[in-house]
Amino acid sequence: MFRTSSTAVHGPGDFTLTSVVLFTLGMYGIAAGSVTSDQTVVAIGVFAFVLFAIGVVWPIVILARVSVEVVAPSDGAVGDEVPLRIIVRGRTDRVEVRVLDPPGRWWRTAVPGVGTMPHLATRRGVFDEVRVQLRTSAPLGVFVRVRQARVRMPEPITLAPRARPAPAVLYPIGDEALMTDPVPASVAGGDTVRAVRPYVPGDPARLVHWATSARLGELVVREHDPPAAQGLALVVDLSGPDEWGDEAASYAAGVGRAALAGGGVVLLATRERQGPVCERVLDARDLGRRLARAVAGPPADAPAGWPQRLVRALDFGTTP
Amino acid sequence: MTPKPHPARPGSPWRPVAVAVVAALGAVGALSAPRLDIPVIAAIVIAGGAGALAVLTLPSFSTRRASVLVLGVGALGALRHAALPSSDSHLIVFWAMATLVALVLVDRADAESTPALVGAPPLAPRVSEATRAAVAIGAVVVLLSVAVVPTLTRELGRQEWLGKIPTLGDVQNSPGSLRASRELDMTNRPRLTDTVVFTVEADRPDFWRGEVFDVWDGVGTWSRSDDSYVTLARSGGAVPLILDSYDVGAQRGEEMRQTFYMESRFSQLIFAAPSAVEVHTDLVLVGRPDGTAGVLRGLGQGAVYTVTSRNLKPTAEVLRAADATALPEPLRTRYAEMPVTSERVRALAESITRDAPTTYDKIRAIESWLGVNTEYSLDAPLSPKGVDVVDHFLFDSKLGWCEQVASSLVVLARSVGIPARLATGFVPGERDGLGGRFVVRENDAHAWTEVFFPGVGWQGFDPTASVPLAGEAPTNGSWFDWARDHVATFALVLGAIVLGVGAAPDFIARARRRVRRRHSWPARALVRLEKLGRASGRPRQPAEGPGEYARVLAAGMGDDRLVAVGAAIDRDAFSEAGTTEAARTGADDVLAELAGRPRRE
Repeated sequence: MFRTSSTAVHGPGDFTLTSVVLFTLGMYGIAAGSVTSDQTVVAIGVFAFVLFAIGVVWPIVILARVSVEVVAPSDGAVGDEVPLRIIVRGRTDRVEVRVLDPPGRWWRTAVPGVGTMPHLATRRGVFDEVRVQLRTSAPLGVFVRVRQARVRMPEPITLAPRARPAPAVLYPIGDEALMTDPVPASVAGGDTVRAVRPYVPGDPARLVHWATSARLGELVVREHDPPAAQGLALVVDLSGPDEWGDEAASYAAGVGRAALAGGGVVLLATRERQGPVCERVLDARDLGRRLARAVAGPPADAPAGWPQRLVRALDFGTTP
Repeated sequence: MTPKPHPARPGSPWRPVAVAVVAALGAVGALSAPRLDIPVIAAIVIAGGAGALAVLTLPSFSTRRASVLVLGVGALGALRHAALPSSDSHLIVFWAMATLVALVLVDRADAESTPALVGAPPLAPRVSEATRAAVAIGAVVVLLSVAVVPTLTRELGRQEWLGKIPTLGDVQNSPGSLRASRELDMTNRPRLTDTVVFTVEADRPDFWRGEVFDVWDGVGTWSRSDDSYVTLARSGGAVPLILDSYDVGAQRGEEMRQTFYMESRFSQLIFAAPSAVEVHTDLVLVGRPDGTAGVLRGLGQGAVYTVTSRNLKPTAEVLRAADATALPEPLRTRYAEMPVTSERVRALAESITRDAPTTYDKIRAIESWLGVNTEYSLDAPLSPKGVDVVDHFLFDSKLGWCEQVASSLVVLARSVGIPARLATGFVPGERDGLGGRFVVRENDAHAWTEVFFPGVGWQGFDPTASVPLAGEAPTNGSWFDWARDHVATFALVLGAIVLGVGAAPDFIARARRRVRRRHSWPARALVRLEKLGRASGRPRQPAEGPGEYARVLAAGMGDDRLVAVGAAIDRDAFSEAGTTEAARTGADDVLAELAGRPRRE
């Protein structure tokens, strides 16, 4: 996985101060000692030069023999630290590893070894591979060898946009519109009393109609009419630069979450890789996943009768 | 800037770094102590302490950077002292190993400053990692050094160099052993210090001869019968020296090249193993008829010249046989005339050599007498003025240093007609184990005797018992040369070890299996079955298994029970479950019974 897909982006590595000292010492010792035929001086030069050469070659060989796997959780959100499970295989004393996008901090591990690193998620989307960098300067600290690889994960991770705080905006939805809801709504209880009925164990005490119970001499509880459905069709158009699209998705996540928290029905119209999608979201997690999968392009049309809220990436170019 | 860690914290990975840096710099301190004229311990403490302070407490540098810079400074110190002839090879090796370990530990400590993956296995112990890396890299360094260093120095090495121009002060401060002189005054004590005068790169040790003297004044001074010298002309890339036409060894002897590296600030003499034939140098040389050479204006520090010498290196038998050849008259006149000495010295020479049949034996007899009857001491009292130094040494003080001892051998030899002269110069000196050069100091100054053997040439004899004889030191070169010479042996031994270690477990397992098989029931039963078959005239064929063979025997011997015997052996030998104890007992009974049955005719 790692060996076949690695591509270096920062060059093969960096020379350290140690390498400068050893190289200078080695060249001087060999040159000066050879001219004066002083074998001890030449030996010191050879010693330094061999350290330099081994210090460069050893890390290259070590990293060539190391492979890495990454296992990520199925869900996450932008701005959260996602725990990534890193599995490093090979045979050496130690390497340091980090995940790019964005470049995180370095973590060390013995090889072979398995460990977990927290990585800050910065971009929305569904990712099935991750860029990983490995580095080592062992054993002499002469040369810091860096290798980079795109590692395909066994299961993709879905990174939802970070929800921007937004006020709950709910609109009443007509029955006709509800009938067009791709997913039938389960409407919660309202507050209009339709009738009373005898109490049965398990009924909440707040539903007891005390006045009627006193009149009848037995406990009765209220039965309510279902409330009028509220919600909105959130139409998200991410056409535009990626940054604007992420801002728009983040805003849409805030609007959707606020609507869901207010008990509203949210219909999300987006465009995914397979094409336009318009479906009702079940909860905040579902909302995040849908927005994570959303890509730039014309979204699906909202069903007729649904109050729409259009969120466009282009609107976030000037007023982020 | 990288924040500096706190090395003093218990368990900090930088503490072993500091220890390794202190060790490396301590070695450099020990190397530099003689040059700085301070005690070795003080030099170690100062150098190591400075390194530790820099690594541990220098606040403006990261510990890693401070460590590397301190090691770099230490390396420059090690280079400086490695270039000096008195460098101690063991300290250089110690410095190298400490530096290597320090580098490994620095990198390890740096890695430990990075957080570990949560739940990841801990790193290997620091000592373990440092040891493994140091051993592996050290082996590579040694191998490459052995392969590369001699070749580099031989191919690129400077074998001629003019050196610095000596000043008047250099001339005045130089020891007498480095200055050309008309006479050798035996009533003066030579200057003997530890100062290195020159180093010599040569395949084998020898006496480095500077001058020879052949006239003894009978009191205390040696001089030359012919003190003339001529400016030597260059021929090709070398300056040929004046050769003694009677010295066969100088013409046909084994060639030996030596390169001299002057450490002293002034020398007027060209030193060389006897007998020097030519000198590779750009200096203007003067030569004497006795084959020695010098530099009129003197050699300065850093001068390098290469000498080619020839000597037959004869055996004792060859030297004994030399008496068969007549001594050339010019040599007899010049070197074998009766010296000016006392009557009792002559009588002593006669008495010592009376029973010795050959010149060589006479010389050995005199050497033995000197060894038994005189003692070597640099603190011996000087002979009184006007007294024959040789006579005084042989009969009165019996205590002296090399000049008295060698002079006595020359005078005693000449008293019985043996051509001899006094040679002065230096003993080979100690060999620098890593660099392989002979390090020659002022106190290596020496005097010895040269005896002429017809048909062989001049041969040196060192009667001074307490001075190592030329040829006793190992004849190989540096460690690198020695290792290269023995690389085939190393490879064979290593191969044998690897083969042995690799094959031993398999060999042992096979042996155990063989023993187990030999003592197992089916093996014993098969042997008995085969014995039975051979007795009946039907030995087992190589391709026949026990069962098959038993069936053949059953048919041949008319006893079907053998079929069951064969089946029992097969089952026990080849099936996982084996056979039953009853089947074994039954088979044993059948075999025992049939073995006791008389053979059918």
